[in-house]
Amino acid sequence: MNSIRLIAAKETGELLGSGRGLGWLITLAVVLSAFSLLLVGSTELSLLDNAQAVYMVMGTITALGGLLAVVVGSDAIAGERERGTLVPLLLTPVSSTGIVLGKMGAQLAAWVAAYVVALPYLWAVGSSGQNLGAAVLYLALFGTPLVIGFGFYALGLSARLGNVRNAMLVALITLILAASPLVLGPSLRQSGIGKMFDAVNPFSAALNAFDSVVIDSDPFGMQIGRLGVVLAWLAVTALFARASARRLEGT
Amino acid sequence: MKHWILALAFACIGSMGLAHAQTAPRLSIALSPAPGNPPSPEMGNWMHFRSVVRNTGAAPAQSVVAWIGLVRVDAGHEQPMDLEDWSAHKAVVIPSLQPGQSFTTEWPMRLIQNGDYRVVISAAERHAQRLDSSPFVDLHVRVKPTVESRRILPVAIGVPLLLGLIAGLRLRRRA
Repeated sequence: MNSIRLIAAKETGELLGSGRGLGWLITLAVVLSAFSLLLVGSTELSLLDNAQAVYMVMGTITALGGLLAVVVGSDAIAGERERGTLVPLLLTPVSSTGIVLGKMGAQLAAWVAAYVVALPYLWAVGSSGQNLGAAVLYLALFGTPLVIGFGFYALGLSARLGNVRNAMLVALITLILAASPLVLGPSLRQSGIGKMFDAVNPFSAALNAFDSVVIDSDPFGMQIGRLGVVLAWLAVTALFARASARRLEGT
Repeated sequence: MKHWILALAFACIGSMGLAHAQTAPRLSIALSPAPGNPPSPEMGNWMHFRSVVRNTGAAPAQSVVAWIGLVRVDAGHEQPMDLEDWSAHKAVVIPSLQPGQSFTTEWPMRLIQNGDYRVVISAAERHAQRLDSSPFVDLHVRVKPTVESRRILPVAIGVPLLLGLIAGLRLRRRA
C-alpha cells in the first residue's frame, strides 16, 4: 500500500502540486467562467430556469472531468514508456495492479480538485436554490464513477497501444461519442437506436439522472438503474485497465 | 345587338362571382388566453392561447393553414417577432372543415423578451382570396433577471484569479 501511495503522491504532485501543474485547473475555471458569463449575457440562456442552468453546468463539469481523465490516463503508461521511465517503474516491487491504483489515485485527486472548483459555479447559477444540494450530491455520486471510469479506460488503452497519441485519440473519440447527448436534443434520442444508446451509455445515465433530480425533482429511487449503468462502466473499465497493465509484466 | 351580348356576358361573369362568394368557405377565428396563464406574466413564463377556427360559410374549407403571429408594439421597438425561440408550435393544418364545423388549437408560447405584444392567429384556406385573422390578444411581459449576475460575476472573475494567485505563489516559492 505504501508503494501505491508513493505513486499516487508523485502523480498528484505533478498535477496539482506545482504552479505550472495548476495551469489545467486554471483553464478549467476559465471555461466555467466563460460559460457562466454566457448565461448572464445571452438573453436566451438567461431565461433558463435556475434548475436548467445548474443542469447545464453539471453536464459541462462532467464532460470536462472526462476530458481530464482521458488526457491524464492516456499518458499514464504510454507516457512513461516514451520518457524511458516505464522499465524502472516495472522493476519496482509494485504489482501492475498497484501501479494502476497509484496512477488512478492521482486522477481521483484531480477530479476532486475540479469538483471543488466547480462548486462556486453551481452556487452562482443556482440562485433560486432549487435542488442545489441535490445537484452537488449527484454530481459527486454520478460524476465520480463516470470520470474515473474514463480514466481507467484511457489508462488501459495507454498500456495496450503503447503510444500516448494513439491512446488519447481513441479515448477522446469514445468520450465524444459518449458525451454526444450533451449536444443532441432529446428528440434525436427518441428513435430505437437512440434509446438503446441511452440505455448503455454511462454519460447518458449521468445526464438523465441530473435532469431527473435537479429539474424534475425525482427521488433517488428513480436513479438506481442509472447508477447501476455508471457503476458497471466503472467496474468494466477498471477490469480493462488491470488486464491491460498485467500484460506489461510479460514484456 | 353587340351591346346586349356584352351586357349579358358581364352579367353572367358577375353572377358567377357572386355565386362563388356565396358558396366559398368563410372562416371566423376566435382567440383567447387559456385559463391558468400567469396573471402578470414575466420573461421565461409559459403562456397558452386557445384559438377556435370555425367555418361560417356554406362550403367546406380544405387544407386550412392556421398560424400564430406576434407583434411587438413598444414605442420605438415595433416589429413582428421571429417566433423561433418563443414557440415551436407555429402552424397547424386543418385538412377539412365542413360548414359549421370548428377546430380548436392550443398554442403554447414561452415569453422570451419583456415588452408589449399583440398575439394574432391567421388562417388561409386553399382556395380563399383573402386572409382570415382573429382579433388581437394584448400581452405585457415583465422583465425578470433569471440568472443573477450579482452571484455569477464575482465567481466568474474571482475563482480563476484565486487559482492564478495560488499558482503564482507556488512558482515564486520554487524559484
